[in-house]
Amino acid sequence: MLHEIELIVNGEPYQVAVEPSESLLHVIRERLGLKGTKNGCHVGECGACTVLLDGRPIRSCLMLAIAARGKRITTIEGMAKGEELHPLQKAFVEYGAIQCGFCTPGMILSAQSLLNENSNPSDEEIKKALAGNLCRCTGYTKILEAIKAVARSGQVEGVEMKEYSVIGRPLPQVGSVPKATGSAKYIDDISLPGMLYGKILRSPYAHARIMSIDTSKAKRLSGVRAVITGKDIPQVTYGMGFEEYAIAPDKVRYVGDQVAAVAAIDEDIAEEALDLIKVTYEELPAVFDAEEAMKSGSPVIHDNAENNIGYGVTHIFGDVERGFADADYIREDRLETPMVQAAFLGARGSVADFDPTSGALTLYTEATMPFTQRPWMARVLGLPINKLRVIRPYIAGSFGNKSGLTIDVCFCSSFLSMRTGRPVKIVHTREEEFITSRGRDPVICYFKTGVKRDGTLAAMQCRQISNAGAYLDNSPLTARQNVGVFDILFRCPNVEFQAYDVYTNTLPSRTLRGLTNNALGWGQQQHMDMVARDLGMDVADFYLKNVHRKGDITQSKYKLDSCGLAECIQEVVKASNWKGKRGKLPPNRGIGLAASGHTCGCRYGAPDLSTALVVVDREGAVRVHSGRAEAGMGPGTMQIMCVAEELGLEPEDITINEFVDTDSTPFDCGNYASRGMIQQGNAAVAAAQDVRRQLFEAVARKLGVSVDVLKARDRRICVKGSPDRGISFEEAVRTCWYEGEGALPLIGRGSYSPPTEDWDLQTGEGNASIAYGFGVQAAEVEVDKETGKVKVLNVFAANDCGKVINPLILDGQSEGGISMSLGMAIFEQISYDEKGRVRETSFSNYGLPTVLQQPSVKTVWVETIDPHGPYGAKGVAEVVSLPTAPAIANAVYDAIGVRITKPPITPWKILQALKEKEESQDEV
Amino acid sequence: MRFEYLEPTSIQEAIALFERYDGKAMVMAGGTDLLVQMRKKTIRPGYVIHIGNIRGLDDIRYDKQEGLKIDALTTIRALGKSSEVQGRYPVISQAAGQLGSIAVRNMATLGGNLCNAAPSAETAPALIALSARARIVGPEGERLVLVEDFFTGPGSSILGKGEILTEIQVPVPKPHTGAGYFSHSMRGTIDLAIVGVSALITLKPREEVCEEVKVVLAAVAPASYRREMVKVFTQRAIKEAFRLARTASASSML
Repeated sequence: MLHEIELIVNGEPYQVAVEPSESLLHVIRERLGLKGTKNGCHVGECGACTVLLDGRPIRSCLMLAIAARGKRITTIEGMAKGEELHPLQKAFVEYGAIQCGFCTPGMILSAQSLLNENSNPSDEEIKKALAGNLCRCTGYTKILEAIKAVARSGQVEGVEMKEYSVIGRPLPQVGSVPKATGSAKYIDDISLPGMLYGKILRSPYAHARIMSIDTSKAKRLSGVRAVITGKDIPQVTYGMGFEEYAIAPDKVRYVGDQVAAVAAIDEDIAEEALDLIKVTYEELPAVFDAEEAMKSGSPVIHDNAENNIGYGVTHIFGDVERGFADADYIREDRLETPMVQAAFLGARGSVADFDPTSGALTLYTEATMPFTQRPWMARVLGLPINKLRVIRPYIAGSFGNKSGLTIDVCFCSSFLSMRTGRPVKIVHTREEEFITSRGRDPVICYFKTGVKRDGTLAAMQCRQISNAGAYLDNSPLTARQNVGVFDILFRCPNVEFQAYDVYTNTLPSRTLRGLTNNALGWGQQQHMDMVARDLGMDVADFYLKNVHRKGDITQSKYKLDSCGLAECIQEVVKASNWKGKRGKLPPNRGIGLAASGHTCGCRYGAPDLSTALVVVDREGAVRVHSGRAEAGMGPGTMQIMCVAEELGLEPEDITINEFVDTDSTPFDCGNYASRGMIQQGNAAVAAAQDVRRQLFEAVARKLGVSVDVLKARDRRICVKGSPDRGISFEEAVRTCWYEGEGALPLIGRGSYSPPTEDWDLQTGEGNASIAYGFGVQAAEVEVDKETGKVKVLNVFAANDCGKVINPLILDGQSEGGISMSLGMAIFEQISYDEKGRVRETSFSNYGLPTVLQQPSVKTVWVETIDPHGPYGAKGVAEVVSLPTAPAIANAVYDAIGVRITKPPITPWKILQALKEKEESQDEV
Repeated sequence: MRFEYLEPTSIQEAIALFERYDGKAMVMAGGTDLLVQMRKKTIRPGYVIHIGNIRGLDDIRYDKQEGLKIDALTTIRALGKSSEVQGRYPVISQAAGQLGSIAVRNMATLGGNLCNAAPSAETAPALIALSARARIVGPEGERLVLVEDFFTGPGSSILGKGEILTEIQVPVPKPHTGAGYFSHSMRGTIDLAIVGVSALITLKPREEVCEEVKVVLAAVAPASYRREMVKVFTQRAIKEAFRLARTASASSML
């Protein structure tokens, strides 16, 4: 029964009819249409839905709207005064405190309430006030800075701007303002007329045969518009193993596998309908551990995979046997990582809109690779490619993990929309997100390293066993990648790398920030720390002795045309006072070092291509069109800066497309493998130069000079060395448009496809990336030996970014990357119960780091001016994150002398390890 | 999640409704625990009796003889920030400050935290250590029980048919008394306590001898890891209680 209530929202009274069960969050978003308040978990654990109730912050998801009747509510939409942003909004924008932006509205309201109570809060007070607002992107540091700036002055002082050309300026990201005001549209904010809501029925069994499905009762439920099963759709497989179906037709292989989907007029009815679908299963024996699954006699998960090995690769460079024979010392270790998930605050979702008359489907989803994924999706849907249009709205966090279209929400919403002829929306609940999210493969690594007495590496060997889960998805990519990155840090003449992707009845895996380079790094960086300790060497010196330098070519033929690895180590040693701290800290404090190297893009059997358009209209407005994924890393801002630099304009003169639309946006492979900076940057530079050439030709004719003498600077095109001989940019544009100089419309086309090589499947060789980034970190920790708790105090980072394009964004990447890797080190994991069910189904028991855990972070940027990157820049999104977890583990060892080989480093593991250490010492 | 929503304007009315729909109704105060359980379908009440908007049930009073009286609808945030509580019963304030985020503390109530009867309820150990009582009003009249006797197991309490918790009474501590509360949770306050320990110590005047020592454990189970934790946090809570008792003792000497 609907109840008529009044809510006073942002000072305006609203009369609204609500169901008793509706949360205040739902009413604010769906009935009042104020979409700035976000739904991140719907169980009060993330803070994205924070609003002020009578001036105090509350969780709008935990309050019934009806219980808030008559109350005064402030949402993010009530913060700005007309066009004037609230000081906190302004500060969040200018201090770079916004990346994906999904947590921003709740964060700002929590901060506002703090400042109302305490106009001059200490750092600790700010942290306490924000402890319930989770952020996955920023690492909180910039958020604290923004709030402190407002507290200091009551408003925002402008960010200090040095006299830069455009490149190198600390510019806020495009899109920050709509994110701060709550007007940015993420997938959950999209509603279409007549839209239905979909829900997915999932397998409760880890491994079972579907014997029958009875949907008749569900179909009869009032409000249900369609129910589909795997038998109702084309039986087309996809994924790198070509063994996965959009909806499982006859067999389920993990708890959560899609079995059926429902579309109904609201979510509650759709959910009720799921309960009415009767599925009979024949349960099959299941296996969850990769090493178990490889044994003969293990349950067979896919018929064609012997010993459940879905993919395997072995490459040997040099003479490994000889290398070990020549070594003075050999050490072997086994290290392991569990699955960690992306855990972005905005859950996966999609809205599919099928037009029965034209037979065309429009799919709205936050995919970061819409162009390369579209053919796959069209194939599974049975649509001609030109009948599938993908629109990508704002992305509420991705970290490379929202890459694809071939995911449950997209499939089910599409098939349901094709079935009903109406738009269908499906957005995961937070619990669904945890039980279905494909995180990083759980990996076991066996390392063997041989060294000479002086610390020179003689041979390195690694056997990597990845638990790919129920389907391969793109696990083979990550196995192949590690062939290359295994020796990306170290000069070593003899190298062997083996990788296996093993099927088990657990969650499949997918690309996520660093891929399995994280697992490799977790293991290798600890293994090397132990090798150095065994040799009695300072690990920093051991690294400096062995690391790659500029110009090196690795064993798998990665060409390191720029490489600041040694410089990064030196910078971290200096910044952290390594020599003064290592072994000299008070009891239970320790410091550890770790390094990383990663690709900047990667060739996966097709050109690593980005393209861009720079369109200049008749009045001189400049607009960039690009197919990048804007998930908080700032590629659009970077492209604007490149175009401004090339055209001699200011960044504010240039706009860029917010959404990507495969019907009108130029092609881009997407954002993964830290490729945005070089590929998308170079494409933008090329497009700007193309339009600049056209303008220069017109200006040259007008001024009677040669094109070569012209330059674009300060919004003018003039002769180099004589700024007076020239015309304004606008006038130059008019020359083209009005005086018939040059081709119209005035468009610059640009693309960049690096001359990289596909991996040779026989030899394992191939320069797969045009450049390689490097990062080094030292972490300082304190361990409470009584409780086993680890506190990370400081992280010192130095990264080879090639060239600093935008320091604000770079620092944000570093701080956020460190927070994410810290989470992996001490809190996060996906584990399974004896039936293969994911145990961690909420932010709190998964353990997303809060502001309380963020250490003090100091980042140094090493400029190596890469010959291929725009202005010498390289991508850093992964190298900034990779070293933190192993550096923390090494610091824990330094502090208390115990080695935790599998994260998370929980208090329990610390206490156990200390106890074992004590017992073994007693025995001695 | 379908139910009938009832919003009584007085406790008497609430009791009548609760009695009428006995077994089918849940009482909601702040709603922070109840709504999560309903959304996870661990409970499916047919009726929700919302008492959160009943006026005059969120006050905190102190009296030299009778001690502290806290109305059941006092929010955890108000409880933690009350100067009366901070000054005279710092352990309650300390425990309240460890419950969830500020936004949750602004919604959650003391009565709700106790009635939800989670073994990790942050406010319970300190109240038990302080010998607090719960005032329970029901169709048959009212009764006072020790908070210690209020819980009968995880998620259950002694509340009978139609009964509602309306007030917590905390007696004036004996002179020379100190109390502390320590808890362990994964990521600090926003997570539930895995182990919570409150200790209370009353010293004999002018002697470093304890007249009374109380230790209250919360959220502990017979797991070895927790046993370790219990030891550590008990030591810490006792140390803190002892420090405060000495401070109390010293100041009473002045």
